[in-house]
Amino acid sequence: MASFLAQRLFAALLTILVTTVAVSMLIHLVPGDPVQIMYAQSQGTTPEQLEEVRARLGLDQPLMVQYIQYMGRVLQGDLGRTIRGDQPVLELLLARLPNTLILATSALVIACAIGLVCGFVAAYRRGTWLDTLLMTSAILGVSMPHFWLGLILLFYFAVHLQWLPVAGSGAANLVLPAVTLGVTNAAIIARLTRSSMIDVFDQEFIRTAYAKGLPRALVLYRHALRAGLVPIVTMIGLQFTYMMGGAIVVENVFGWNGVGRMAIQAIFQRDYPLIQGFILMFAVVVVLVSVLMDLLYAWLDPRIRNR
Amino acid sequence: MKYWGKTALAAALAIAAGGPAIAGDIIWARDGDIDSLDPHRATSTLSRQVWYQIYDSLLEFDDSGAPVPNLAKSWEIAQDGTLVTFVLNEGITCHDGTPFNADDVIWTAERALGEDNPSLTKSSWGDIGEVEKIDDLTVAFHLATPFGAFVPFMADQFTSMLCDSNAAADDFGTGSAIGTGPWKFASWTKGAEVVLEKNPDYVNYGRPIDNPGPPLADRLIMRTMPEAQTRMAGLRTGELQVIVPPIQEVKSLQDDPGVEVYVAQGTGQNMFLQFAVNRPPFDDKRARQAVSHAIDKDLAIKVVYGDIVERQYCPISKGVFGNDPEFCKQYDQDYDPEKAKALLAELGYGPDKPMEVTLATWTGDSRERMLQMLQNQLKKVNIVANIEVMDIGTLNARDTQENNKAEGPGYMDLMGWTWFDPDLLYLLWHSPGAYQGFQTPELDKILEDMRTTVDPDARKEIVHAAFKILLEEAGQVPIYTPGWSWLYAVSADAPGFKIGPFNRALFNAIDH
Amino acid sequence: MQNRLEKAIALAGAAHTPAAGVAPSGWAVLLRRMGRFWRSAMSNRGARVGMVLVTVLVLVAFFAPWIAPYPPDEMGAGMSLLTPEMAYPFGTDEFGRDIFSRVIWGARLTIQVGVIAVGISLTVGTLTGLVAGYAGGWTERILMRLVDVVFSFTETLIALAAVAVLGPSLSNAMIAVGIAAIPFYARVAYSVTLVERNRAYFDAAYVQGAGHLRLIFLHLLPNIIPPLIVVATLGVSSAVLAAAGLSFLGLGAQPPSPEWGAMLSAGRDYFNQAPWIMIYPGVAIMITVLAFNLLGDGIREALDPRQTV
Repeated sequence: MASFLAQRLFAALLTILVTTVAVSMLIHLVPGDPVQIMYAQSQGTTPEQLEEVRARLGLDQPLMVQYIQYMGRVLQGDLGRTIRGDQPVLELLLARLPNTLILATSALVIACAIGLVCGFVAAYRRGTWLDTLLMTSAILGVSMPHFWLGLILLFYFAVHLQWLPVAGSGAANLVLPAVTLGVTNAAIIARLTRSSMIDVFDQEFIRTAYAKGLPRALVLYRHALRAGLVPIVTMIGLQFTYMMGGAIVVENVFGWNGVGRMAIQAIFQRDYPLIQGFILMFAVVVVLVSVLMDLLYAWLDPRIRNR
Repeated sequence: MKYWGKTALAAALAIAAGGPAIAGDIIWARDGDIDSLDPHRATSTLSRQVWYQIYDSLLEFDDSGAPVPNLAKSWEIAQDGTLVTFVLNEGITCHDGTPFNADDVIWTAERALGEDNPSLTKSSWGDIGEVEKIDDLTVAFHLATPFGAFVPFMADQFTSMLCDSNAAADDFGTGSAIGTGPWKFASWTKGAEVVLEKNPDYVNYGRPIDNPGPPLADRLIMRTMPEAQTRMAGLRTGELQVIVPPIQEVKSLQDDPGVEVYVAQGTGQNMFLQFAVNRPPFDDKRARQAVSHAIDKDLAIKVVYGDIVERQYCPISKGVFGNDPEFCKQYDQDYDPEKAKALLAELGYGPDKPMEVTLATWTGDSRERMLQMLQNQLKKVNIVANIEVMDIGTLNARDTQENNKAEGPGYMDLMGWTWFDPDLLYLLWHSPGAYQGFQTPELDKILEDMRTTVDPDARKEIVHAAFKILLEEAGQVPIYTPGWSWLYAVSADAPGFKIGPFNRALFNAIDH
Repeated sequence: MQNRLEKAIALAGAAHTPAAGVAPSGWAVLLRRMGRFWRSAMSNRGARVGMVLVTVLVLVAFFAPWIAPYPPDEMGAGMSLLTPEMAYPFGTDEFGRDIFSRVIWGARLTIQVGVIAVGISLTVGTLTGLVAGYAGGWTERILMRLVDVVFSFTETLIALAAVAVLGPSLSNAMIAVGIAAIPFYARVAYSVTLVERNRAYFDAAYVQGAGHLRLIFLHLLPNIIPPLIVVATLGVSSAVLAAAGLSFLGLGAQPPSPEWGAMLSAGRDYFNQAPWIMIYPGVAIMITVLAFNLLGDGIREALDPRQTV
């Protein structure tokens, strides 16, 4: 188990390291003169002024030096300041991160609740009309653009019927974005649960259990579900990453005040310090979640636990 | 609405929509957030609207747009306009309880003009040599050269007076803001809302609103709600009192007895086309004139905005000194596609060789729809325009870049500026100019004279001379006014709203 | 961007039965076996439905000028904001443009997105995977580590980062979406290459003195194509969704382009008065994505009968 975890941790660190390199070099990939794009809006555009900005940002240094300086700042928790409004990037991101995490987690709960049940039922009733119905709904769900579903839900339930408040950031406002994100992802979980459970049902030990005359419910619960759970847990870890990605779009549909909405604004405003900070933070969150999932996986799967 | 038709089920299940509005709170839902609480660190209208609630300036604009006393009870211009002395009202207190006096004025001015972190609009203050404290309530500004726009600028939000106690806070502009205005800063949740509380000690010296004392409501909350339809829903359910309405819904709101729609007049805003003039095709004035002749400005305005914006004929907006539509109409290009084609033919363009250009603007307020109208009209004279819509900051940068590029397709954009004085023309078109674009030596000379001329009649002559060049050469093609943040839909439950000149929203007399 | 897991399954399936039915001797055999493979795929009902929908989409895109009653950006084709009726089956928008014509023309852009985005990820991903699998050693370790790193982010984030660098436009959105999906293709190509490399025919060719290029392109490539077809088919659906999402956010197609995501985004201002402006483009996106999902699923099952119901 220790070696498994050490290996996963190493991979996680490597991911973050590569991300920092990519993020710190991002600005050099921008076609044209990013300094002019960024600062013409606020600080004048004479060549001298632009040179001054370049020097201040360290952009006139060799790449290696720039990277080391960038890492030095990042390790001290300094992600720079925004172009628009001159505010600390880290503070802005951290203020909104909880909103995004709340949205992603709620959506994940909804997706799992729907997806696991539907997938399990479909597998158990494999080949029946119920299976066909559930799986057809699932493929429709996978094919549904969530920005479209979101708008339809928003306009119909909040704007037209006025069932939900629109103006706040409380629990009632979380319902629609979480459902939008959850439903489209539930479809994926349902399909995976189904195929994973079918594999389990086909396995020798389940048939043996039935043959021994054990009660159906016990077989399903104690044996099948436990065995089917391991791949599903890994999958849910991955799902969280997609939820985070999906949240970027859904937040913009619903005006949910998370990091995704801010990131889109930052892209529009060409606010590179903010974009860089966002990518880095997103990477760290994704990596942390995957490490957590690895821990859970190791604990659940006896083959790894006992290694 | 009709299309959906409310079902019986919906009616049966409809529960009263969520968060009940708290009496005493005015919630104003807007499409975006402020950039900063620091008037020296941002320029957006969304920010300026909020500063106006927290801070006062030395002067104010009355309903006619003329500067009147506010924090300063009087001012005096001496030495040919190079010395301006303000006498402050007595007994004004800052939000933190400290008295407002000459030290605060000097602190603000020195902060704005200082070397280490100057205001983004430093150049608009004029060439200020020294700010001198005569006594506790008297301050003198020494200017190196006379500057006609200095006095009205002292009524602008960019010269909001900050209390010197802000120096003690290390989060001024992001987490704290101390001023003297009708509303006190309470909190700013970035991306979500700015909460202001009533300033119980407020005395109204100059704001053009019928309330001499503190605001009637307890709190003023500016909430960021990007989706226009949800703002509409919030207004209709009573969750919100004031919203920025979607342009498409203004008609239906005007017919709604529960809502009052306010359209700001005399905003000082102007929307115009400008060109990248340092390379073909728009280095030739005939190409610019052709564009101006090709577009049916009245039709485009009517289709996209109906009657909530007006046609604009002059390079500066209605309500600003020197604006004179009759004068400007003599020199602008009327709608005449044939003339446009003839001009283009002179330049070698025609059905077989269309002119390909980029047509840009910034996001919001249905401007992308305006561009689609223009694009459609330009196509009829064989100008193929590719639309690009971007953030305002990016657009500003892009315009400068395009003016500095020697190659590439033609570039023009629908740009907007707002200012209370024709001095705007100096900023835009005196070389090098805000975008390093259109300029002529003759225009430079005229604009220099305009800056230093203080006598109104003489100044008007000069301003008109500048108009003539800009319009004839189609360096700036005026189209309409206003252009952004000029609409307010207010719930009938919250009477007392008013828009002052230059689009200043006044909440002091709202009773809710 | 919903379909990562779909592809993950495809990948797993592919790894189990790497060359499903394709005998290991290059292009000629592949072509011969494709017929059987095709018939097997088309025996699946979902795949047939998907195939029909995809064919319709391609035909609509190709014949757009003949099918659409109006050019996509013709203002005043009808009055503004007309309800759907015979002459304007999907209604008109605020400029009196015919939504039906716009949706039809939009199919062309969608096909473009599919071809270009998948083209990018397929080419770069396959080459990366092939080279890593073939070369082994440090090349393998570095390349696949990088792929893993990129894989651990969501496609959304990578596409956003790419658009942030390149600037918003439909062609940049296509590139961004293409880049974001590279890791999937790389992983599949890699895992299949590893299996193929250890087969007898490969050793035989190697012993006969075939050069690197010959080994890669004549022997390995044809054998990894079938699983990649599955990934690419499913990949079209996620590329279409992702690009529409970027356009919806304003980071892709610019007005007056009849790109479906952009149409939908512009239509929301009129949702109260004219919901059809945003409903039909949404339906079009959904049907397209569904078509490729069904087709991809069907082909996968043909490749890996273990999963066939």
